[in-house]
Amino acid sequence: MIQFILKRLGYGILVMVGVVTVVFTLFNILPVDPARLTLGQRADVESVEAINKELGLDKPMPVQFAMYLNDISPIAIHENNLEAKEKYKYLKLIPFGKEALVLKAPYLRRSYQTKRPVSEVLGEAMPQTIILAVASMLIATFLGILFGIIAAIRQHSWLDSFLMAFSQLGISIPSYLSAILLSHFFGNVLADITGLNQTGGLFEMDDFGNRFLSIKNLILPTIALGTRPIGIIFQLTRTSMLEVLNQDYIRTAKAKGLAFGKILYKHALRNALNPVVTTVSGWFAALLAGAFFVEYQFGIRGLGLEAVDSLLKFDFPITMGAVLYTAFIFVIINILVDILYAVLDPRISVK
Amino acid sequence: MPEKLIEVKNLVTEFNTENGLVRAVDNISFDINKGEIVGIVGESGSGKSVTSLSIMRLIPNPPGKISGGQILYNHTQKGTIDITNLPEEEMRSIRGNEISMIFQEPMTSLNPVFTCGDQVAEAIMLHQKVSKKEAEQRTLALFEKVKLPNPPRILKAYPHQLSGGQKQRVMIAMAMSCNPHVLIADEPTTALDVTVQKTILELILGLSKETGMSTIFITHDLGVIGEIADRVIVMYKGKIVEQGSVVDIFANPQHPYTKGLLACRPPLDKRLSKLPIISDFMKEKEDGTLEELASDMQQLVDAYVVTPEATIARMAKLEAGKKILEVKNMQTWFPSKTNIFGKPLEYVKAVDDVSFDVYEGETLGLVGESGCGKTTLGRSILRLIEPTGGQALFEGRDILKLAPKELKDLREHMQIIFQDPYSSLNPRLTIGSAIMEPMQVHGKYNSDKERKDMVVELLQKVNMKPEHFNRYPHEFSGGQRQRICIARALALNPRFIICDESVSALDVSVQAQVLNLLIKLREEFKFTYIFISHDLSVVKFMSDRMVVMNKGRIEEMGLADEIYHHPQKEYTQKLIDAIPKGRLEDIKNRFAVDI
Repeated sequence: MIQFILKRLGYGILVMVGVVTVVFTLFNILPVDPARLTLGQRADVESVEAINKELGLDKPMPVQFAMYLNDISPIAIHENNLEAKEKYKYLKLIPFGKEALVLKAPYLRRSYQTKRPVSEVLGEAMPQTIILAVASMLIATFLGILFGIIAAIRQHSWLDSFLMAFSQLGISIPSYLSAILLSHFFGNVLADITGLNQTGGLFEMDDFGNRFLSIKNLILPTIALGTRPIGIIFQLTRTSMLEVLNQDYIRTAKAKGLAFGKILYKHALRNALNPVVTTVSGWFAALLAGAFFVEYQFGIRGLGLEAVDSLLKFDFPITMGAVLYTAFIFVIINILVDILYAVLDPRISVK
Repeated sequence: MPEKLIEVKNLVTEFNTENGLVRAVDNISFDINKGEIVGIVGESGSGKSVTSLSIMRLIPNPPGKISGGQILYNHTQKGTIDITNLPEEEMRSIRGNEISMIFQEPMTSLNPVFTCGDQVAEAIMLHQKVSKKEAEQRTLALFEKVKLPNPPRILKAYPHQLSGGQKQRVMIAMAMSCNPHVLIADEPTTALDVTVQKTILELILGLSKETGMSTIFITHDLGVIGEIADRVIVMYKGKIVEQGSVVDIFANPQHPYTKGLLACRPPLDKRLSKLPIISDFMKEKEDGTLEELASDMQQLVDAYVVTPEATIARMAKLEAGKKILEVKNMQTWFPSKTNIFGKPLEYVKAVDDVSFDVYEGETLGLVGESGCGKTTLGRSILRLIEPTGGQALFEGRDILKLAPKELKDLREHMQIIFQDPYSSLNPRLTIGSAIMEPMQVHGKYNSDKERKDMVVELLQKVNMKPEHFNRYPHEFSGGQRQRICIARALALNPRFIICDESVSALDVSVQAQVLNLLIKLREEFKFTYIFISHDLSVVKFMSDRMVVMNKGRIEEMGLADEIYHHPQKEYTQKLIDAIPKGRLEDIKNRFAVDI
């Protein structure tokens, strides 16, 4: 099992290197002048050159790439002086001469616009996105699986048909539309009854300046974001459950004399969950990458909004950072899901 | 007077289908006495499985329902109770406790996500108030009792880590876990090799003698019944057509259907040109009544006997002809362990240094247990699996060296018929287009119209009707589907056909029809066959010569009759011993020993 996890981690690192390569290439072939973006159009030549030098833009492309990789990598070689230490916040491992092998958090460089470190900008956006994604996937998974089971054991009943029709509707509505409708009706028209806001960040300040999570502002975006996953998880659970309930081993369980409820949750559900896990994890990872439309509609400064914003402003370090964050999330979730598969179904060999 | 345990009275079980209400079980009555083994025999669709599921009250509802009659069960504490109207909760305390059941498909009957130990212990804890630890101890004892190798390992093993026979033993252990009074075994050995079947039959027989439980043993094969049952119930189309002691049924069958079932098994002591089939004995008239066509079984069988002289003459003629296929030192190895760069370190030698020749017009039988490499060998010859070494000369050309284009041309001459007629037809293609497809791929005939005419002709050749052209596979029975697969193999006018366990999934009565068809086609088109099966009796019936395979190597090779009558190797002897022979003297002996 440990070998299996290590192997997955190894693959994950390879994937990350691939993503870094693609991202670097992509954003370096675009005709954008970072120095001008940083300093504005009226900057003098010396300042522009200074910026170019700092970013390594006066060097050949392969060297630039090597520098970028070195910046991103948690284990890297940097100059062994205080200035570099301040910049990268590294932990010295092995010093040799002017340089040192160091351990650090990936350095994603600084925003062209605000000069703030990218990791700081994205670090502020991440909690909002994570809270939103976790909340909507928790609700979607719980309700989707629950309704899926109910529909499967009551196949062909009116309840089944109703749930099927409803889920179809949920799948068909794009999140930007449901976001607009929800915020308008429940946050505006019916605001007196619901007491909800049309827009608002997930974190608010209380009178003493402490940040707290605003549950009130979480409700509508969660519903808007969770609608489609609920529909899809519901339909998958239902189909998978119907198939499993027709298996020979369910008949064996009945022949043993087990009660139906026990057969359902012990023998059937665990076998039915594999395709559901695939979907849930895929959606979860996608939501963690940010949900631009919903974040935009409700005014939540999450990863999605930050990424799209930076793209519009040609603030590429932030965009690149956001893409790398997203890729990292996908890789981690995929590794977790692979482990989960092996736990759920012993037939999936961990070798 | 034997004590009655189950008394089935006028049982009717119906299914609601697209074609209206169908009576799967139609007014049947029989008794099961304490300690006896009752065999229920019949073809698929005869209602034998529905009968057993009715006793367990496991008929899927909807669409099925017990709509009449009684099933009286003599309960140890509660006296006589009627199972048909018992509340569900009470029924649950009977299932797996008083009456337990094992099923046909050991592969799918165990839950893949729980260990074998957990699944057996679950049944114990359900019906008896014991701790988990105690249940585990009892499970171990049960595994010991059903003669599983290394019980502590099986306890922790998942079903996919066991062989088919071992899984069926786990199922039996589960069924025996609460010391049931009745064990219902629904075709428990049909999906297994003959050698494994023999051991499972011995186990069930031993357990029922030891514990004194009654057993209902359901099968399509009267030969198996002869090995195990005390009494036989013969079912046909939902009705019981005959019942009696096993000796009476074998010595003096009354109903033409019983005679047909007895006669259609490939006989071992003589060589037949074709097998008698059910329709030689009876015909269903339009009003649904049966008409007896032949009453003397022996006479019918004798008419088909081939003399040893004729067999020798045929073989001499074949050997005078040319060799159509020469397999030389063929090897197919699969890597079983690889290093980190995918370089193989160890191999499974599925086919290891195998050489033989096939003469034109001959049928070469390939026999062995599952896992002996016979299927891999068949597929390697066609290069459906790439062999790792050796030669296979088809009319002098080495198949293993052919370029992809040449290989495609060769496929015209060499075809294969697979084991499972259910999964080897695409459910979304009409059977007409399924048979036409190879013709189109190889550009045979000039137009689709011409091809269509050919398909119709082929359908008739395999005893199907032209109007079946536009139907889909699910509308046909297993036997019909296998005939469709044969027609598809014939579409390209091949000269060489590999039959890979082509009749193993079929009932014996249907198997006889398909075997007869294969023989008829062989005579008509001068085909050469390689006939692969785990059942030596079938291989012997079909083949001129026979190759016995074991662990990827040839154990022995020679004339089919010669090998059967004078096996040189212990392994061959084991295969022969495992065949349920259904001989009257053996059955009589079985009872003589008991007394």
